[in-house]
Amino acid sequence: MATVKINGKEITVEDGTLILDAAKSAGFEIPTMCYHARLSKLASCRVCLVEIVGQKKLQPSCVTPVMHNMEVLTESPVVKSARSSMIELLLANHPLDCPVCDKGGECELQDVTFKFGPRKSPFGEPKRRFNEEDYILSPVIVQNINRCIQCKRCVRICAEVVGAGVLGSIGRGTGTQETSFVKEYLDCDHCGNCIEVCPVGSLMSRSFRYKSRPWDLSGVDTVCTYCGTGCQLTVQARNGEVVRVISNPDTGINNETLCARGRFGYSFINSHERLVTPMVRVDGKLEPSTWDKALDTIRTGLTNAIKMGEKIGGVASARLTNEELYLFQKLMRVALKSNNLEAGSRWNSDSVKEFIDVMGLKNGGVSIYDALKADTVLIIGTAISDENPVTDYIIRRLSSYRKMNIIIMSSRGLKLDSSAKILLRHKPGAEREIIGAITNIITGKSKGTSGQDNIVAAAEIIKNSNSVSIAVGNDVLRIASQLSYINDLTDSLKGLGKEVKLFPVLDRANQRGAWDMGVHPALLPGYKSTGEEGLGCDGIIQSALKGGVGALYIAGEDVVSDFPDGRAAREALGKVKFLIVQDMFLTETAKMANVLLPSASFVEKDGTFTNQEGRVQRLRRLYAPQGDVKADWEIISAIGETVAPSFGVKSATDIFNEIKEVVPMYRDISFEGLNGNGAILQLSGSSEGSGVVARFIGQNRRDNPSGLSPETVDPEYPFTLITGNHLYHSGRLSMKVDKLREILNEAIVEISEEDALVLGITEGVKVRVKSKSYEAYLTAKINSGTAKGVVFIPENFTDVLVNMFFKMGEGFPRVKVQLP
Amino acid sequence: MFEPVILKNINIPDSFKLSAYINSGGYQALKKALEMTPDALIQMVKDSGLRGRGGAGFSTGLKWSFIPKDATLQKYLCCNADEGEPGTFKDRAIIEYDPHQLVEGMIIASYAIGADTSYIYIRGEFAFGADRLEAAIKEAYQKNYLGKNILGTKFNHDMYVHRGAGAYICGEETALLESIEGRRALPRIKPPFPAHVGLFGKPTVINNVETLACIPHIINKGASWFASIGPAKSPGPKLFGISGSVNKPGLYELPMGTPLREIIYTHAGGMKPGKKLKAVVPGGVSAPMLTEKDLDTPMDFDSLAAKGTMLGSGAVVVIDDSMCIVKAALITHEFFHHESCGKCTPCREGLDWIVKVMRRIEHGQGKEGDIELLQKLCVDIFGRTFCPLGDGAVMALRGAFNNFREEFEYHIKNKRCMVNGNR
Repeated sequence: MATVKINGKEITVEDGTLILDAAKSAGFEIPTMCYHARLSKLASCRVCLVEIVGQKKLQPSCVTPVMHNMEVLTESPVVKSARSSMIELLLANHPLDCPVCDKGGECELQDVTFKFGPRKSPFGEPKRRFNEEDYILSPVIVQNINRCIQCKRCVRICAEVVGAGVLGSIGRGTGTQETSFVKEYLDCDHCGNCIEVCPVGSLMSRSFRYKSRPWDLSGVDTVCTYCGTGCQLTVQARNGEVVRVISNPDTGINNETLCARGRFGYSFINSHERLVTPMVRVDGKLEPSTWDKALDTIRTGLTNAIKMGEKIGGVASARLTNEELYLFQKLMRVALKSNNLEAGSRWNSDSVKEFIDVMGLKNGGVSIYDALKADTVLIIGTAISDENPVTDYIIRRLSSYRKMNIIIMSSRGLKLDSSAKILLRHKPGAEREIIGAITNIITGKSKGTSGQDNIVAAAEIIKNSNSVSIAVGNDVLRIASQLSYINDLTDSLKGLGKEVKLFPVLDRANQRGAWDMGVHPALLPGYKSTGEEGLGCDGIIQSALKGGVGALYIAGEDVVSDFPDGRAAREALGKVKFLIVQDMFLTETAKMANVLLPSASFVEKDGTFTNQEGRVQRLRRLYAPQGDVKADWEIISAIGETVAPSFGVKSATDIFNEIKEVVPMYRDISFEGLNGNGAILQLSGSSEGSGVVARFIGQNRRDNPSGLSPETVDPEYPFTLITGNHLYHSGRLSMKVDKLREILNEAIVEISEEDALVLGITEGVKVRVKSKSYEAYLTAKINSGTAKGVVFIPENFTDVLVNMFFKMGEGFPRVKVQLP
Repeated sequence: MFEPVILKNINIPDSFKLSAYINSGGYQALKKALEMTPDALIQMVKDSGLRGRGGAGFSTGLKWSFIPKDATLQKYLCCNADEGEPGTFKDRAIIEYDPHQLVEGMIIASYAIGADTSYIYIRGEFAFGADRLEAAIKEAYQKNYLGKNILGTKFNHDMYVHRGAGAYICGEETALLESIEGRRALPRIKPPFPAHVGLFGKPTVINNVETLACIPHIINKGASWFASIGPAKSPGPKLFGISGSVNKPGLYELPMGTPLREIIYTHAGGMKPGKKLKAVVPGGVSAPMLTEKDLDTPMDFDSLAAKGTMLGSGAVVVIDDSMCIVKAALITHEFFHHESCGKCTPCREGLDWIVKVMRRIEHGQGKEGDIELLQKLCVDIFGRTFCPLGDGAVMALRGAFNNFREEFEYHIKNKRCMVNGNR
């Protein structure tokens, strides 16, 4: 500890505390421009200079640590005049075009000028101007370089956090420009984090440009609806239209960062394609209707199914809130007496059960920052840089200054590879084999065979680590995975006295919450066993194909587009006697509905999400949904009332209170008290023994685990096709966002460099991807890190229905790639 | 007459070749040094009183002693051959005409600090010098002065020439390291100092060419011989590059502490016919100028500091009475403005502002209050910049103001030059 005197006030702080932070805790504000807490230190703006008694020169407080007995002056005349001079110098060549600058009103340079700067400047010379027209750097980023004050925050965040590294400086002195070398669209993540950290109006959002003054906006702090990272964001609207999403440096696990989807993927909210009125199928055609009529139809449909004793199923999106998902399972189980329900339609039900079990989701959450406090981080089953971009940022940033060995097991080349110590490229579905080999080497059962150099090296690193964190992504759920290999590894590591943490990496905002809430055929809320297991989505489809499903209720999920057998899904839904769909858009699934109900977007409702860490965060309503649109929980409640009059609920808060009673992990969480950092799930007072909580590992499986058994390999189809979310898209929702479509509008096929070379494929050419039953015509993208024999097509695009390549029970499809 | 030490070989035919260097006793110092312990070597250099010839005048032996003694640590030596200070041409002579002297000095220095690799960061424009150095290094490898087990000892050393990226800032030691590492040459935050976290994050010594060239001579002739030359506090031979309005401009090796008057009038042949001495810049353009009355100042670190200026690189620029000081100051500041790296606010924006005001003054568009504005900008910049580049610029301008303020005032008031009469 060091005791320092700041402006005469004595304060004791940790050794190594920066003067800037020490002064802040002593109650003195020191302005900064180039400083950023989570970026490398630059100390170049000199606005934060302070006087240290006994030192001749003023020192930058943003890099100078305190020393015991140091005496610092932050308000002395010389400091004040130096500060004011620095601001004056920054303003000298700054255009001062505030009236036409997007940043006006929330500009850091404006703020420090008003607070600390000179009131008048003697600068009367012509100002430096680089160009009259702004540079358009990307579909979402525009730059006015004249306003730049050289803080280089954009350059640093792009290189250090995002890992894109596309910004840099050209020229020197006053001629320095932060830009890219090429005067065309940047080949970057289009995440706009450079915009977020820009203190002035140099980097600006193209989608927000000239839309509004910041003081005319109304906004709420809420949670991103795309992936499971669970970023905090502020959605801002003007006149009932969402015009901007920003991040808040002080809150959330993401702090100032967001990805392209989070930051620019909001315009679906105000899309003219939104469903605004309930629709009922009349004479084979969906016709606009009223809520009363729609609910009447539902009452009839459901009552018939119950009367006939037919199967009733439910599929809910893992983007609904906890409250909605809880209510959904309650509707299915209590009102409709069915355990046939699942959250999401893409996963293998058996793998989901094992995943929940091996990842210990019933034991509560762990913060990603705690999980990353490990000597070694092993990443399995996720193209993390594309699926969960902000998780990727956090890992990259922490690994740059903390000693951490990152081992990535993946079939595709990832941006995070550059931070990894070891890359284990593998055939899709080979995780079990590789982890098994690593476990055997660690336990001494094997020394590894030749050609397993990387596996041996990885095992060696893991063996030499005191703490190991294993991140498991939801790609292992795409096939029957038999995840006991993860248990074997963690057990053997724990046996060696190592600290092991597991954390899931999930691609839907509330996938974990959905499981917590018991939207699962075998699990009740809080992971208690149902006793009698119902059907998961795949079971429902299979049953429906045989005409066995009387009624199916789909909330927010596009089963036809997502289920990994497009043909079967369409056919099955066609055979369901009564199909209820609620969605924001007229999806392929919605088009098949008997009753279609318009649901609200995430900014039009209250609720909570539980992210992949097990962190419960609040969604806040920005404005009421327009027209006849209702929040999903209101719709579920209304449907419940059609069959069980006492089912209805009044508010999301009421449902949350019920969740608190039913699910022990949620007991201590206060709906109203959830702030920007949310609350990590804790398993308090475990009165529920593990016997009650369902266990799945070791149970007999219904199908054989297989990636693809060697004998089924047909040499005519040499590639294995995998799918997942693209960096710029997530699910199908992002296809309704113009800006994201401007960044990437059509599906691509990603292929390894080796294969591309053999096939004579170059980046950007059109190729034909063909399986036995389906083919697609796509633009090729070469990924130098991707494993040989693997092709990737994102699952997000409506022009290429990637699920048509898949066939139930067959694992990853085999395809061939041809130049047309 | 002082017998040259560093320049003694310079007029020998093929002086840059190994044979010529060996004939004049070259690489004897290396043999001797390798028989000493590194600590004894460092002590010897400390005892010699050698101070860095790049301009700051820091004790070379002391600098070497800051390097951690841990033998397992990778360490580096970097030679700063980015000779960029206007008026300076001393290192170039050593590099081009006696490169082995530098190479030998570097091997000895590396041995003293335990570095197995060294880099010569040479100014990009010195293509000829870089070729000469490459050739010298090749010869040294052939004779096992470089490479594995040098001269039968356990000491291994590799040396590389790294050609500069072309900016004045590359001569700032931490910017130089950034440049070798392949990045934009911008100064780094200190602390940590290069002695602990330097090139590629490893302990590193950065020495000037002339400093390193002194090393073999100290080893050969002893620390006390070196210490006996010139003033006790900054001893040794020193290269002075004299340019401007003198009869015999050129590079002169003289004992440290030789008075300015002697340098100009005895060695450089005095002022050009019909010209009167107006001002002298004693150590590169960053050094505040002196006038006639200061000519008896001994040219060493401390005596010049006492006069409010500095020895710097020992580049003496003689200005005669036909030169307008406003113009001279503008030329100087156009240089600093052009070379400011742009990293920190005061240097980037301050020098830009200063140059804009000075251009106006020079071109007859000065305004009342401009001098005060310039002085205020000097205050804003001095001591507040990230590295000493901005300080140097301010010192030069302050020197001009201190001695020739009336010329600035004349320019502003009469919209024309006091010296040349026209605009």
